[in-house]
Amino acid sequence: MHDRPPVLEVLDLRTAFPTARGMLQAVDGVSFRLEQGRTLAIVGESGSGKSVLSRSILGLLPRNAETGPEGRVVLNGNDLTRLPERSMRKLRGRQAAIVFQDPMTSLNPTMTIGSQIVEVLIFHMGMTKATARCRAIELLATVGMPQPATRVDQYPHQLSGGMRQRVAIAIAIACEPSLLIADEPTTALDVTVQAEILDLLQRQVRERQMSMILITHDMGIVAARADEVAVMYAGRIVERAPVRDLFHQTRMPYTSALLASIPQIDGGRRGRLEAIGGRPPDLVDPPSGCSFRPRCRFASDKCDMTAPPLAGTGQHHFACWHPL
Amino acid sequence: MNAPARTGEPFLTVDKLRVTYVLDRGRTIQAVSDLSFALNQGETLGLVGESGCGKSSAARAIMQLPRPSDGQVTLGNTDLTSLRGRALQQARRRFQIVFQDPIAALNPRHTIRQILAAPLEIAGIRETCADRDARLISMLERVGLNGAQTLERKPHEFSGGQCQRISIARALILNPELLVCDEAVSALDVSVQAQILNLLQDIRCEFGLTMLFISHDLAVVRHVSDRVVVMYLGTMCELADADAIYDRPAHPYTRALISAVPRPDPDLEPNPVQMVPGELPSPMNPPTGCRFRTRCPKATERCAAEVPTMRPVRQGQMVACHHPLVGA
Repeated sequence: MHDRPPVLEVLDLRTAFPTARGMLQAVDGVSFRLEQGRTLAIVGESGSGKSVLSRSILGLLPRNAETGPEGRVVLNGNDLTRLPERSMRKLRGRQAAIVFQDPMTSLNPTMTIGSQIVEVLIFHMGMTKATARCRAIELLATVGMPQPATRVDQYPHQLSGGMRQRVAIAIAIACEPSLLIADEPTTALDVTVQAEILDLLQRQVRERQMSMILITHDMGIVAARADEVAVMYAGRIVERAPVRDLFHQTRMPYTSALLASIPQIDGGRRGRLEAIGGRPPDLVDPPSGCSFRPRCRFASDKCDMTAPPLAGTGQHHFACWHPL
Repeated sequence: MNAPARTGEPFLTVDKLRVTYVLDRGRTIQAVSDLSFALNQGETLGLVGESGCGKSSAARAIMQLPRPSDGQVTLGNTDLTSLRGRALQQARRRFQIVFQDPIAALNPRHTIRQILAAPLEIAGIRETCADRDARLISMLERVGLNGAQTLERKPHEFSGGQCQRISIARALILNPELLVCDEAVSALDVSVQAQILNLLQDIRCEFGLTMLFISHDLAVVRHVSDRVVVMYLGTMCELADADAIYDRPAHPYTRALISAVPRPDPDLEPNPVQMVPGELPSPMNPPTGCRFRTRCPKATERCAAEVPTMRPVRQGQMVACHHPLVGA
C-alpha cells in the first residue's frame, strides 16, 4: 500500500482548550497519513474539530491550548511536535503553508500585496529584494491576477474577495511547500468565484506535486476536488475512504445522514429532507462511547459503553459498531 | 412539497422596485433597479444571486424596512408603499421576516417571553398573562421547542438552530400571510439546515403562507421554491418555474451560476466556469446595456447598446437577454 513514505503522518493528535466549564476536547485522537500529490478533504460540521486539527498540525494554536503528549505530526520525516517555535517559523511557509477562509483577515491591511509576498521570499528563500519582487509578480500572474505588475503595489482593500484569496494562495505556494492546507478557502466567496479558486488550487497542487489538506463543510467540494476524505465528528475521524467509496459505499451512519440531509440541485423537487435529529455533542461533557450515539438510529448498548475504533479493510476505515 | 390551493389573483405584487443608496458627495448606488414580479397566495418564490446583486435590499424594501426609493409593493389590496405611521405598523402583522443570523436577530438581554410577546404588544393585542403565555408556549411547541422550559431563558442559552426556531416563532406569532426569509438557513450546518427547511415546509402548509425565500444557495432554493428569480447587479435576469430555471436556464448568467455549484457526486467532473474571467463590475458604475455583458460569453455589440427587458421565452419562463439560451 505505502510504497513511498508519506509527506505527512499524524498520530493520535489531541488538542483541548480550557473553558469555564472544564476542558473542551476539540481534537480527540486523530491519526492519518497523506502521500505526495494527494488531496485529502477533511469534512465536518461546525465544532467537529477540523479547523483546530489544521492549526494543531502547523503549531498555530493559541497559548492556552493543551496538546496531548502522545500526539505526533511528522512532516517529510521531521517530528514537528518536537520542534522549538524558532524552527517551526522556518518551516511554516517553507515546507507547509496554509490558506485561511477569510483573506481579509489573513492578509495584512497595512502592507501592499507585493511586499507581503516579497517578505516570505526573502525570509525563506534568501532572495534579494529586487529578485523577490520579480518573483512576486510572476506568482501573481500564476494565480490569475490580471495586470500583476500594477496590482503588486495595491493594498488588500483595493481587491475583491476572490482576488484577495488569489494573493493568499500566491503567498502559500511562493516557497513551493510540500504540504498545503486550505481551510475553507472558498466559504466566504460566491459560487462562481469559488469554482475559479478551486480550479486554481487543484492546478497548483497537480503541477507542483504538492499534497493538500482541503478543509470544508461542503460535500459538493469534497466530491469534486478530493482524492480521499476524512469525515470528522466531535473531534474524531469517524470515516475515512477514497472519495468514490465514501459516497458509494458509505459505512458510518453519520456520513450517510449527512449526505441525506443535503438539498439536491439536480432532479426535481423532493419531499422532506432527512434531517439529523438533535445536535452535535457538548465537547466539554461528551457522551460515553460513540459520540454520534445520541443521534444515531442504529445505536445499541455497545455504542453506549465503548467508543468504536477507526478500523476497516484496505483504504476504507470507519468508527462504528453497526456499519451500514 | 404540497402547496396549498392557489387562487388566480396575485397576492403580492412588486412593481418596478428601486432601491437607491446615497453615498457621500452626492454619489449614489442603485442596489435594485426595476424589480417586478407577482406572487400567488400560498406560492414560494426563490430569489437567488451572488453577493451584491441586491437580493437583501429587495427583501428589505418589500418589508418597508425602509420603504423602496421607487416602485410599488402591493399585498392583497393594500399598497404598502403608500402606508405611513400607525397604518403601516398595523399592516406589518401581515408580513414578517426571518433574518440570516439567528443570534444577532434576537435581543440578548431579553427573555424568550419578551422577544415573542413584543409583536403582540406592538399590535395592541390585549390578553391576560396566562393567555399570553399559553399562546407563546403553543407557538414554541409548533416550531419544535419545549415551550414551558424556553420562556424564561435568554437567546445565548440556545444553539443557532434553536435561535432560528425562535425567530420563526416570533415571525409567526401574529399569523402573517407573507413570510420573507432572508438567507434564513445560510448560517446553519447542513444537518440543522435540513431541520429548519422541513419546519418551514410544515408551517408554510399549516399557516397557508406565501413565501419569498432569499438565498445564495441554489440547491436550497430549488428545494423550497415554486418559481425562482435570478438577480445580477441589481437587475432581474430571469424568472421561471423552478424546474425550468435549473433544467433549462435561458439566461447565460443563470446557466453559469447553476453549473458552478459543486455537486455531491464524485463521478461528475467539475463544470468549467461558464463566464468570461474577470470581476463583478462596481454597482456604482455598472456596464451600459446588459449588466452581465462584461462577463457573458455570448455578448455582442447590441448588449452594450441596449438594455434587455424581460420577455417570455417559454411557457412560465421570462428572461432579460438579447441572446437567450433556447432550443439548445
